[in-house]
Amino acid sequence: MAKYKTYDKGDALPEDYKKALLNLMAFQADSEYAGGQRVAENMQYAPRPEEAYRLSKKVMEEFGHAYYVWSLMAELGVNVDARLRELVEHPDNPDPKKVNVINGFRRENWSPMFHDWADVGLFSTVVTPAAVAFLGQYRECSYLPWARVNVRIHKEEHGHLAFGVWASKRCIEFGGEAMRADMQSRVPKFMRMGLGFYGRPSTGDKKSQMFDIYYEYGIKVRKPEELQAEYMELVEARLKEVGLEMPRDVQPDYDMRVGYAMDNPVAAE
Amino acid sequence: MSRGVAAAAPRFPDPLVEERHGILARYGYRLDRGGLERDWPGMWKLLQGDFATRGRPWVTGFEQLSPRQQEAARVYMRRRLVADELLDACKQAHADLHQSGIAPELVERYAIARDAYEDAVMEFGRAREQLDTLLPKDGG
Repeated sequence: MAKYKTYDKGDALPEDYKKALLNLMAFQADSEYAGGQRVAENMQYAPRPEEAYRLSKKVMEEFGHAYYVWSLMAELGVNVDARLRELVEHPDNPDPKKVNVINGFRRENWSPMFHDWADVGLFSTVVTPAAVAFLGQYRECSYLPWARVNVRIHKEEHGHLAFGVWASKRCIEFGGEAMRADMQSRVPKFMRMGLGFYGRPSTGDKKSQMFDIYYEYGIKVRKPEELQAEYMELVEARLKEVGLEMPRDVQPDYDMRVGYAMDNPVAAE
Repeated sequence: MSRGVAAAAPRFPDPLVEERHGILARYGYRLDRGGLERDWPGMWKLLQGDFATRGRPWVTGFEQLSPRQQEAARVYMRRRLVADELLDACKQAHADLHQSGIAPELVERYAIARDAYEDAVMEFGRAREQLDTLLPKDGG
């Protein structure tokens, strides 16, 4: 039984709860769309037809996830068409006053991480598990329509893990041991982003001011430490499948986060 | 092979996304649409790179394939054509959301269109694997 009050479609939402909920929904929806735009940019690196089509498929999925969540936000009175318009008209630099895109999905942070198709495969192998763990928690959140949509999204995000393993294995298949060694050396740069994805620890001096509020409302249902443990398990299994080793002592890059530390997000109105 | 790109092709609302999808044209997207007779050798030229490996760096032309290999190659290319058609439907649904606004009915329409496109892409991949098993492992 849930330890927090749940709300379904049409229920009256307390004002503070609604504000907190919409902040996180906006982060998810806006970032899913921006993520689709960034994935589309990486089509330039696709070395073969199948790689190009499979990446195109991923673009469509990311846009679809944004639409699911925006659709729910519209029901709560948010002008989501304006958010889509902002992202379409300013894909390189959307106004942070109008949309909530995670730092990692902003073009200036994203583009320098990618140089070729091996980076594309590694991103889905090493960073996507963080998204799977992070967004997975919303399946159990207190706002039931959003929880249901995230069941749908989570299933597809798992498909992205399979894409990463497939793409990375193909790189090694074609590039041999030299490619394997090259890819192994790149794993830490992606792990830094993956580890920082869900934010700073839930305790201590540097804890997020917002985390306790989200957690108390049952909008976030898992602590960063729990998500990190799930992430490490997922990424280690994927790296093993590809034939790569899990590096140790990689430090998180919290600046790329989507997580708990977004203390001053843009209000979704 | 006809090189004419069909007029009134659906476009992504995002210029950036549309531009990046231009890579698909390299493999024949939106070429040879709707013709009764397919130029399989011409299409194969654009796609045969999908079958190059370290052991098989050079892939033979369509005419040099055996009848069995040719049939598998045609299946593979037809799968690509189906994927292209469904990609267009997906782009149209996406463009309509941008044009008409985000409403549940249009969101679900997009979901159906993209599910179909995604299935088609995976079928295209399966057809590649099937043909790959019929090609010699070490060249030709």
